[in-house]
Amino acid sequence: MQLHPRFFGQNLRENLVSKLIKDVEGTISGRHGFVLVVTGIESIGKGLIRDGTSFVTFPVKYRCVVFRPFKGEVLEAVVTTVMQHGFFAEAGPLQLFVSNHEMSDGMEYQAGEMPNYTSSDASVRIQKESEVLLKITTVSVVATEIVRTISITLFTMQLK
Amino acid sequence: MSGEEEENAAELKIGDEFLKAKCLMNCEVSLILEHKFEQLQQVSEDPMNQVSQVFEKSLQYVKRFSRYKNPDAVRQVREILSRHQLTEFELCVLGNLCPETAEEAVAMVPSLKTKGRAHSDEAIEKMLNDLSLVKRFE
Repeated sequence: MQLHPRFFGQNLRENLVSKLIKDVEGTISGRHGFVLVVTGIESIGKGLIRDGTSFVTFPVKYRCVVFRPFKGEVLEAVVTTVMQHGFFAEAGPLQLFVSNHEMSDGMEYQAGEMPNYTSSDASVRIQKESEVLLKITTVSVVATEIVRTISITLFTMQLK
Repeated sequence: MSGEEEENAAELKIGDEFLKAKCLMNCEVSLILEHKFEQLQQVSEDPMNQVSQVFEKSLQYVKRFSRYKNPDAVRQVREILSRHQLTEFELCVLGNLCPETAEEAVAMVPSLKTKGRAHSDEAIEKMLNDLSLVKRFE
């Protein structure tokens, strides 16, 4: 963590911790997934002055809660958009996409005001706000902020 | 994610870092995020503005998909699942999805039948039964 000297003084530790929280919460990395919240500070090491600047770098060890999706993992999601080639769903900050190729054979796309996928025996319907159970097949981290996943439908649950 | 082995949660190939880390169920994360949100409410009139979209979406998600709301129930669930030789990851997936039969459980967590632990169907059913009792008396 880097801190400008104007933050030094009695509140150094507080300032370091707030800056840490601000910098780290809500971020995404391929390795750790989404950082949801910092839950504790384990240690703050000695500060080292960076050459040529007045900034001081402190090594900070902290605990946090992350959300990291894994290939092969099964999780619940909420359908957000249904289209002809598949549907998008969200599991919190995670975006998922299921292509129609990955759905079980009987599922057919129905266009209209509330586009949906309906099974051939009409017992299952997937539409916006449906809660679905998905198995992740691929995880990719896209350029800036969104981790996108492609998944297969395992079971589906009707609109509650 | 290690470079050599391909990642696959179904075989518990999720990297050493995550195999050793403590895993939390949605209901446990919900308690943590709600606590943080309440802390923010005490210092700000508009806490929703103070948090990232990641936080907001995560909070909504874990609240919606928490099977157990009561902190005691949550503790009991972890206790019950901890008795069955599961990894943290497996424990959490089961606690989140609450399968009703051994067949469902194995479909959701295929590694239950691997890794040399050979959980029998009866053992799995017993565990799921104990879990459902917590729900009933919550």
